[in-house]
Amino acid sequence: MSIKVKNLSFVYSPKTPFQKIALDDVSFEINDGETTGIIGSTGSGKSTLIQHLNGLIRVTKGSVKVCDIDLTAKRPDLKRLRSLIGMLFQYPEYQLFADTVFKDVCFGPLNFGFSQSEAEECAAQAIALVGLDFDEVKDKSPFELSGGQKRRAAIAGVLACKPQILVLDEPTAGLDPAGKREMLELIKRLKGDIIKTVIMISHNMDEIAEYTDRVLVMDNGKLIKDAPPRDLFSDISCFNNTGLKLPHTVNIASILKKRGIDIGTPLNINELVFNIKQALDGVK
Amino acid sequence: MRDVAFGQFYPADSIIHKLDPRIKLILMVLYIVGVFLVNYFFSYIPVAIFLLIIVFSSKVPLNKVIKSVKGILLIIILTAILNIFFNKSDNVIWSWNFLVVTDGGLKLAGKLALKLLFLVVGTSMLTFTTTPMGITDGLESIMKPLKALKVPVHDIAITMSITLRFIPILIEEIDKIIMAQKARGAAFDTGGLIKRIKAFLPVLIPLFVSAFRRADELAAAMDARCYNATPNRTKLKELKCMPRDICALVISAIFLALVITLPIIWKVLQLPLI
Repeated sequence: MSIKVKNLSFVYSPKTPFQKIALDDVSFEINDGETTGIIGSTGSGKSTLIQHLNGLIRVTKGSVKVCDIDLTAKRPDLKRLRSLIGMLFQYPEYQLFADTVFKDVCFGPLNFGFSQSEAEECAAQAIALVGLDFDEVKDKSPFELSGGQKRRAAIAGVLACKPQILVLDEPTAGLDPAGKREMLELIKRLKGDIIKTVIMISHNMDEIAEYTDRVLVMDNGKLIKDAPPRDLFSDISCFNNTGLKLPHTVNIASILKKRGIDIGTPLNINELVFNIKQALDGVK
Repeated sequence: MRDVAFGQFYPADSIIHKLDPRIKLILMVLYIVGVFLVNYFFSYIPVAIFLLIIVFSSKVPLNKVIKSVKGILLIIILTAILNIFFNKSDNVIWSWNFLVVTDGGLKLAGKLALKLLFLVVGTSMLTFTTTPMGITDGLESIMKPLKALKVPVHDIAITMSITLRFIPILIEEIDKIIMAQKARGAAFDTGGLIKRIKAFLPVLIPLFVSAFRRADELAAAMDARCYNATPNRTKLKELKCMPRDICALVISAIFLALVITLPIIWKVLQLPLI
């Protein structure tokens, strides 16, 4: 189930004045069971990169291999690929279209050749999984739902296809703080239960620090760093000029360090509190 | 979706790009009149020279220009074929059952195909070299006299510029929605016509929903900025007629006169009228 990307380059509108290099010689491998974060400023190539994984952009230079599907082949099995990789775009609520939530969630599974009853079963499971009340929402129009519910419905539409890998493009954008947390907890829960591998784009360093095991840093189409969050945030020399910031917990730790108290690189609030307590005990 | 060549602005630093959009609009009207006045093949010579001058001085690469023709090549070919068979004048060259080809038909088909070709290339040169905002500003300025007749000139212009501004936004939106539905296994390129049209519903509905949402948001944003609170809005970029604009106008007028008088010259010189 691994993803192998090798020397991948991509140029938008080549040979015109609008030419833009989106990816420049990117190589990495993602193994089963990893939660990988992709960070980088706007226009650094993150979205282009994940669109390659799903065959939405044809590979023009370099190679991409997902499980045993080689995307450089002339006719890769896109249907199987897309059923393996569930892809959730930015603001996924804008992809809802059917007249009821239930039908919308069934859309994916039916496309991938599930039978009607199988699709309905998967849809019902997926709707429950994302924390929506199945009986309440199934006959509602997706446009009647609230913002947060719409997003959940859209995620259910992806999960109903039973993907093994989940790729999310800024899943928390535009949600309120409580909605953000719920979304992240949902992703964490899914990762343990039904999804093997998660790839997540985010601009929020706190989320990246807390929820990923590995971070890819993109800058101007290049992959400039590939490291676990603790290593990455304890040495941020690569962040120069990328406009990226530190997670709040690491910020606090670095302020304390300047004052002579070393508490390491805490990646979430609990760790931060624990480390500070330990440091205080040491002083006493 | 991104590769729609017809009607796309091509940024370059050329004299044609710098011309006043009003002048370019007038030139385009003159050019269209000129193309429609053409009755003989030889009259296309000045039109072709005029067009070539514009194409080469605009610095728009030739393959871009050719690409703009590709979109309507089918229409040109169809028009030509229909005219070959439906015009039955002069000598019969070839016939089979009810299909008759005459040399009059061939000539007419050739002229019409050339007419369409020149029209498309000429008008796409306007959009290649003028920003959408330039075109609407130019139109607004040209239509100004109509204000006396209570025509809402400014409203028409702003509607046009919003329309033009939203085309790339909606194209981008369509791209995004198509990707999202493809990721859910939707297939847009298989099956028969009906199936393909049906496959587009999951794209069209979100597109309409988002278009309405954007329209609402834009209206609110314009309202919040007190749009229309003052009767006379000023412009960031005032249009100004420069000597080069007058020059372009004169050159075009000469070419138009040439197109009109060429058949007469031809007659005086007793050359064959083809």
